[in-house]
Amino acid sequence: MTGKCPEYLNDLNDYLDGTLDQATCAEIQRHLGECENCRIMIDTLRQTVTLCRGGKPEPLPPALEARLNGLLKTRWEQKFGKRPG
Amino acid sequence: MDEKLLVRRAQAGDFEAFTDLIKAHKDRIYGLALRLSGNSQDAEDVVQDTFLKAIDKIDQFRLESSFGTWLYSIALNQARAMLARRKQEDLKPIEEYLPVRVAADDDSGGHGHGSHGLFEWKDPEKLLEDKELRQAIDKLIAELPYQYREAFLLRYDQGLSVKEIAAIINESEAATKSRILRARLALREKLSEIFETRYDREVS
Repeated sequence: MTGKCPEYLNDLNDYLDGTLDQATCAEIQRHLGECENCRIMIDTLRQTVTLCRGGKPEPLPPALEARLNGLLKTRWEQKFGKRPG
Repeated sequence: MDEKLLVRRAQAGDFEAFTDLIKAHKDRIYGLALRLSGNSQDAEDVVQDTFLKAIDKIDQFRLESSFGTWLYSIALNQARAMLARRKQEDLKPIEEYLPVRVAADDDSGGHGHGSHGLFEWKDPEKLLEDKELRQAIDKLIAELPYQYREAFLLRYDQGLSVKEIAAIINESEAATKSRILRARLALREKLSEIFETRYDREVS
């Protein structure tokens, strides 16, 4: 436990997302080697995203897909006028 | 076909070009709407309103961003409007969601993680097959205050960059980053509670 942990917390997201500068990255890595709580914190934060990510894309329900096509077409024709063909 | 060309065609009144443009984004916007609203009825309304609004505003699209980014900002506006109609509290502070200390500005002199129950989760990926857990996680996300939920989902569910999200939600990059971090910390805390009670720390 060190007094510096809160400071690292601000950089954790950038660290986890790989968008942190190299020097700060190295500093955090060094700290993780020494601080068990921060290491657990970072592991569980990484896993949080894994768990909370939807996983698979959600296809539109077929009923919505069918309704949508008609609705959009109608709105389009209201805006641009009906086209031949 | 080139996006710019499709946009020009759509702006000239070509419906096929418009449907081509939205095709690539339909499922992603539905997925986002589903997770933002927490239910399929609202998500369907958001998708429908988004594309209708896109037709109304197609002439105003100036190709300053990608078509996808433009559609996302419309979708988020529709989601916000929908939630306002549902009279949900969309701007409550994260402390209401998570009464314990969240985070980044914690200077209480403690460890600074603002957390209790700091312990390892073993192979949580395996647990994704647990349907009950999935539902519990979906509920956690749905209950996250709206502004945090939005930033978190755009970043990690939709894979947008902080810069893109900041542009879409009209906030600074620093504020956007802070929302994403706070959401992540809050969700971590809530998940920790689940693992602690349901799996009694013996997840493996």
